[in-house]
Amino acid sequence: MEDESREQLVLGRRGLALGAATLSMVGATPALAGGTGKFVTANNNSYDTLDPHVVFDIGRIASRLNLYDALVRWTDDPAKLNMWLAEKVDISPDALTYTFTLRDAKFHDGTPVTAEDVVYSMDRILALKKGAYGLFSSVVKPGTTKAIDPKTVQFKLAAPYAVFMAVLPEMWVVNAKMVRAHEKNGDWGGAWLARNEAGSGSFRLAHYDPAVGFSANRFPGHFMGWGPEYLDTVEFLGILEVASRVLGLEKGEFDALDGFTPYDQIKRMRGKPNVQILAKPSLRTMYFIIHNRRAPLDDVNMRRALCYAFDYNGFINNLLDGSVVRNAGIIPDTMWGAPKNLAGYTYDLDKARAALAKVKGPIRTLTINALAGYPQSGQAAELLQSGLAKIGVKTTILSQPWPVVAAKLGNEQLSADLIPLWRSAYFADPHNWTGYIYNSKQIGKGNLSFFSNKRFDELTDKALVLVKQADRQPLYEEASRILVDQAAGLFIYNTNYYGAFDKKVHGVRYCPIGDAQDMRWQWLA
Amino acid sequence: MKLLGRIARDRVALAGLIVLAVIVLAAIFAPVLAPYPLDVNTYHTAQRLLPPSAAHWFGTDQMGGDIFSRLLFGARITLITAVIAVAVSVAIGVPIGLVGGYWPGFAGDGLMRVSDVFLAVPQIVLAMAIAATLGPQIQNVILALSLTYWPFWARLVYAETRNAKNEIYVEAAVALGVPPWRVMVLHILPAIAPSLIIRTSIGLGGTILVASALGFLGLGPPPPSPEWGRMIADARAFLPGAWWDAAAPGIAILVLVMAFNLIGDGLRDVLDPKLRGQAAAKGGAVD
Amino acid sequence: MRLLGLIARRLVWVPATLIGLVVLVFVISHLVPSDPARILAGENATTAQVAALRHKMGLDQPLPVQLLRYVIDVARGNMGVSLYTQTPVAGEIWRRLPATMELAFYAMLLAVLLGVPLGVVAALRRNSWFDHVLRVVTVSGLAIAAFWFAILLQLLFSMWLNLTPVQGRISDFGPSGVTGFYTIDAAISGNWSTELDVLRHLALPVITLAFPAMATIVRFTRAGVIGTLGSFFVDYQRAMGVPWRVTVWRYVLRSALTGTLTQIGLVFGNLLAGAVVVEAVFDWPGLGQFAVNSILQSDYNAILGFTIYVGVMFIVVNLLIDVGQVLLDPRGR
Repeated sequence: MEDESREQLVLGRRGLALGAATLSMVGATPALAGGTGKFVTANNNSYDTLDPHVVFDIGRIASRLNLYDALVRWTDDPAKLNMWLAEKVDISPDALTYTFTLRDAKFHDGTPVTAEDVVYSMDRILALKKGAYGLFSSVVKPGTTKAIDPKTVQFKLAAPYAVFMAVLPEMWVVNAKMVRAHEKNGDWGGAWLARNEAGSGSFRLAHYDPAVGFSANRFPGHFMGWGPEYLDTVEFLGILEVASRVLGLEKGEFDALDGFTPYDQIKRMRGKPNVQILAKPSLRTMYFIIHNRRAPLDDVNMRRALCYAFDYNGFINNLLDGSVVRNAGIIPDTMWGAPKNLAGYTYDLDKARAALAKVKGPIRTLTINALAGYPQSGQAAELLQSGLAKIGVKTTILSQPWPVVAAKLGNEQLSADLIPLWRSAYFADPHNWTGYIYNSKQIGKGNLSFFSNKRFDELTDKALVLVKQADRQPLYEEASRILVDQAAGLFIYNTNYYGAFDKKVHGVRYCPIGDAQDMRWQWLA
Repeated sequence: MKLLGRIARDRVALAGLIVLAVIVLAAIFAPVLAPYPLDVNTYHTAQRLLPPSAAHWFGTDQMGGDIFSRLLFGARITLITAVIAVAVSVAIGVPIGLVGGYWPGFAGDGLMRVSDVFLAVPQIVLAMAIAATLGPQIQNVILALSLTYWPFWARLVYAETRNAKNEIYVEAAVALGVPPWRVMVLHILPAIAPSLIIRTSIGLGGTILVASALGFLGLGPPPPSPEWGRMIADARAFLPGAWWDAAAPGIAILVLVMAFNLIGDGLRDVLDPKLRGQAAAKGGAVD
Repeated sequence: MRLLGLIARRLVWVPATLIGLVVLVFVISHLVPSDPARILAGENATTAQVAALRHKMGLDQPLPVQLLRYVIDVARGNMGVSLYTQTPVAGEIWRRLPATMELAFYAMLLAVLLGVPLGVVAALRRNSWFDHVLRVVTVSGLAIAAFWFAILLQLLFSMWLNLTPVQGRISDFGPSGVTGFYTIDAAISGNWSTELDVLRHLALPVITLAFPAMATIVRFTRAGVIGTLGSFFVDYQRAMGVPWRVTVWRYVLRSALTGTLTQIGLVFGNLLAGAVVVEAVFDWPGLGQFAVNSILQSDYNAILGFTIYVGVMFIVVNLLIDVGQVLLDPRGR
């Protein structure tokens, strides 16, 4: 798959046509049926910032996907990588130089998107060191990105990086002139861009209130053109309470919910006349981040004890009513690179006690930092707490909203011992679930578990340099087995996506990357 | 005992007293009475969100815990929190009020100004700030409630002490050379005791409301504690499907606080008819 | 002149109380050692960057110096920067103030408009079935947990009866206007469909907030009227042949109102406190929601800023009430 997509991308135009059949009609057809009104999404966390370069998550992806564009973009299911702001890319034989040719695209203020803007955006990510920084920091050095001419931009990588194309969709291109005009004390326009927008995306920011959410109007001049039917306005509201989101959808106040709705509610809504449920296999594994460096969790036996003390069956089949499938490792079993017949851990208190007995240092009360607004996260926390209580390990649960937990992640002092959450797909490559989040070079960036293992590092480093999927696959399989053997995390399940929409909604194009929050395809009827 | 007899004649207050007695007994004997006493911290995921039935009177919650059992243990948390918080605030506030009211000069004014600072913000706001800073633990909730509630008592006792000081029997005692602490404890305190008793009852109800609001906001004891406010917050994610999950703790709070308020009303009618109306409003509607 | 003197005497204590409040809040914020600079600097900051930020924020200075700076900053209207949104707390509070004020205003209005007449009628028909029913209602109003009542109303009116929206302040982003009160802004621009939408959004939060407030007012009014009815003054009026109705409406009500007014400050405080939980339930983008979010985010600057702000409002309202009371009650002059 990697080989194919690479070829596709190198070929540029042809690649795009292959990549998205539905896309091809887009530019050609002039708008006929026109706007179909306002679309309201009730999201499970608030939009505390609109700056596309400081956050990197699914919970707040809507502002990035809809207000901004990148050189390439993931769409559809299974995920396809499409040329987007760039119309073609040439990759040097040593896989170190990537030269992109840009399309004729315009920012919302009418000025053209130039290579200069791409350079500024990349430098901005590298300078701010936030959000998707860890995706690029190891291979792209500040100042190495060059604008050859207004339509040509060149990246020179420090080392081969097999996933470079796959992670580029998170390099959102901002309007450099506009952001520069608002820079203050070398903040790269951070204060301004948190509250405003400087993109070229399908929608143009209309209102933003961190307390409420944001709304954006269609940008008719978007370079990808528009289908015959589209939305005039999209509104994303941050609503912490599940019940309010569900009631609002049932009543028609909202047109769609986030992709984290508890399965109990999905089941209930299936019977509602005006609600449709979109179910899709997903690439999102749920697991507990374990702080591998903080005693006693630095002891593999302690971590194994944790993994034996979680009631996987009760969680998956009872609490979640079988709506998800057990995934013994971190890579979704539906993704290549996931090892076959991975045994993984079972709920076995005797084994947990045995492992616990081997722990050398003292055992203290562990803190589980659950995500408020995501009931499953809290349930997983309580279930683990209950299992651990049975083997005599005490825990406290601290429930906080995602932006708060996110701000502490990667900080060795502040990050909690255990964090039940998901590893979503940001790019459809095993690196997303392995090297990026467990390689010791990524500590403090992508690696939020402070896990380090020499063999694992070797494998995942090597996999990034190789080109062929067939060569990379066995490396990721071994790497994944190491994570399980070392109990680097407590891996639970691979999720299915359940999107709840109003019956009026059409044209949803679900993509495992970003759920279905790319609004340019949807309309109401 | 005489007091109890007199309250018992007020049928509404009697109802409150009976309800309170039932809840207190239920809380004390929770381990015996609860059909599933282990459900406070163990889960039966296969039996989650079951509607009320003979086996589970109030249904089960999202983790499969028996709501009735959890409510009983939750009553302990609620009652202990309220009783300790009110006791501590009375213990701090009453002496300060007595001293301040007895020597209304510099010291008294100073003490009252300090309590003014606390009273400048609604209790729950200050309690939130303290509980949030200290972290969600039961002892922090109690501390936050005590720290924010004593000024109310200081103010009350201050005003009453100043009035009582002008009464002839107090003036007489002072004239006879009785030492100040004896005057305060033996003469003034008994005089203001009735209104203290009334407000204690109503204050307990108000404190329960504030404590449960803190729990609802995630500032109460952490899971799996069956604190009532937290139970409601957790149950919200499963509304409107599993309505019983949120209904039971809400009704429990209503009934318990109502019991305290009715007793307070009854006490007031018996002890101090002049006060009717005012006491409940002062102590009650804190949230 | 006596009025001015009274106001002056009250005013003297206002700054002292406020400074006390700021000190109190500062003490609370230092109950637990925390490092805002560490949080503010972000996940990838180096130790040196954190130290530089700590210096810039003045966190490396002795506590008394920090306290003094904090008092001076607050006096200048600067409450620091939110640790999460990294925007000034004072600005955020100012933006959210109208939402809460509008809510509190209508709740107060509803509580007074319902509470005073009900209280008077209950007093005049003491121990009637009406009085008893009202007693049950008011006792419940003071005993119900506001957040639970809010959820109950949401299920009843939004879901089953489908009369009101589930959450929020308006179906769209607010009308642009000077006051920030959407009801007024919509009326000024003559946008009646928006006005209706705003009112529908207001209904449930206002009812939730007004219920306990109304209960308080009913009880005070009732007690006040009963007290006045038993006074010599009323007996005198009756003896003089003044019609009963005139006595009630002109004299009794007036003195009862004076008593009720003293409770408005208390009720207002309760409304502000209630707004915290009610806004959280209805996703009302006001100060209460701000406070709850700040708490969830351990955003100390924001929590403290909110606390001080509420304190200021509370003190000002109480001052106004003191003045109003003196104006209304001739004996006080």
